[in-house]
Amino acid sequence: MAQSMMRKIALSNMFVMVGLTRRASSRSLATGKNLMVKKTSNDLPPEEEITKSVFMSQSTDIYTNLALEDWMYRNMDFRKHHVMMVWRNEPCVVIGRHQNPWLEANVPFLSEKEIALARRNSGGGTVYHDRGNLNITFFTPRERYDRKYNLELIKRALFRGFGIKSIINDRHDIIVRDKYKISGTAAKLGRTTAYHHCTLLVNANKADLSRALAKRETNATPSTPSPVVNLSDLDNRVTVESLQTAVGYEYLRTPALQLEDGGERHISKQRGFQFINPTEDWFPGLSELKNDLQTWDWSFGRTPMFTVSRSFPVPSELLAPSKVYSAAQELVISMTVEKGLINDVTLNIPPGLVESGFHGEASVITHLKGKRFTSEALNALQDAMLTRHTSGDVKKLDEKEQFVAKCFDQVVNTV
Amino acid sequence: MILQRYLHHITKQCLTRQCVIQSNYKQSYCELKHNYSTNIKERKFTDRHEWVVVENNIGTVGISSYAQESLGDVVFAQLPDPGTEIKEGDECGALESVKAASEIYSPVSGTVTEKNSDVEKKPGLINTSCYDKGWLFKLKLTKPDELKELMTEAQYEEFLKTDVEKDH
Repeated sequence: MAQSMMRKIALSNMFVMVGLTRRASSRSLATGKNLMVKKTSNDLPPEEEITKSVFMSQSTDIYTNLALEDWMYRNMDFRKHHVMMVWRNEPCVVIGRHQNPWLEANVPFLSEKEIALARRNSGGGTVYHDRGNLNITFFTPRERYDRKYNLELIKRALFRGFGIKSIINDRHDIIVRDKYKISGTAAKLGRTTAYHHCTLLVNANKADLSRALAKRETNATPSTPSPVVNLSDLDNRVTVESLQTAVGYEYLRTPALQLEDGGERHISKQRGFQFINPTEDWFPGLSELKNDLQTWDWSFGRTPMFTVSRSFPVPSELLAPSKVYSAAQELVISMTVEKGLINDVTLNIPPGLVESGFHGEASVITHLKGKRFTSEALNALQDAMLTRHTSGDVKKLDEKEQFVAKCFDQVVNTV
Repeated sequence: MILQRYLHHITKQCLTRQCVIQSNYKQSYCELKHNYSTNIKERKFTDRHEWVVVENNIGTVGISSYAQESLGDVVFAQLPDPGTEIKEGDECGALESVKAASEIYSPVSGTVTEKNSDVEKKPGLINTSCYDKGWLFKLKLTKPDELKELMTEAQYEEFLKTDVEKDH
């Protein structure tokens, strides 16, 4: 047994050596001098020179953790040191880099429940986090980015630690009991560094999860909703802490490039578990990254252009009396939103409402342009309609205007 | 008679000289055109799998077929806005495929003049036509010398062979 292991190691070493020499020689033939220098400095060390660490973030703030992730991505060299970071958050919704928060998340529900909304740097879909989620980030050099390896590692940890069997599907989700998803996964690939992160449901609040993620139709990167299950429902020994330990040890006992069990001896050669305190003192520049992530311009303003269009039946008491209308009397509101700001508004006012004396159209359009697609726009709209009442003593919207304002409120504030 | 012959001779000479000049001129024109089409419009590649083609100091940037294949189906393209000034190697956008957001780095320095809005609407163009309809953005070069640092198509092909070898 030991002999065959030894032979295996020797063989794999030899293979790496051969690979290295061959690569170097073919490159010197193929490309210019400049390039060769550039590339050789980029060369990656063989597996046995790589050590591994498990970082445990001491923060439960989504913005701090995302900033820490970004800081490590920008500043650390992962060629000889692969890192797995585990972290968790207070309740929040995290959208992918090119997603639309208004369409992916139930924004009014989030503000009501004080659930944070954050846009991350990686791609992929929208996820819900709370203290019942374990988030894991795998940092490697870009050339060694291997999502399959990371997910297999988690799968092995679930089985070794708790006897839970899982499979990894085509979309690279971890699935248990044939169809229930327990993970969401996303990645960012840069010039030198890449990271892959995923979230595991341990005992998250599933009711809040499904309400927070209620969504509308979208033409930005859409999320794919799936039935989900908490790992603690499968086995009550699974807690965020025990899972963190299980995955951490699995990471340390597995060699950096191959999925095989290195055993206890392999663990002792690694750098082990480390507590990370994400503060400006330890990570200079961290607070700036965090501030950027917290701005409205990043979370909402980075949304790809989208259009919302809704129609509302006009109640008959608001229509001009003594007229019979053949068509349905509907107020149609369409808005184009670019960089989070209302860019274009089209208002289709049914004839019945015009004849009954509603004239707010022009002011509606001019006052909404350039406003954020939030309640701020509604206030601007109501102010605009109120200013038309300056002649009269009563500074109040009439019923028709109230109706239109209510419709706008629904466009902006409901799912 | 002699005079006549002499005149005839002169005109003939004159004509042939003109012809020679003309043909010379034509040839050099052809050569010019040839140089123009091969040297200036050549596609150049970076080791991060972006390409650039320069015409009248305007570079068109895209990603290589190899990059497109390894990304998989692109579902979203985030491109730099016209007017943005970028330096060689700067992050200037991102391509999102099914599960990874991949940064786009500019192969050369310059000012963005145009982005491909067709690709923004239909990111799949990057997969189906990465060298033609799937271009990403155009920029006005500020440092044309940077082109010399990039690989030619043949060099890039070689580079891919060694790079792929490395993965196995």
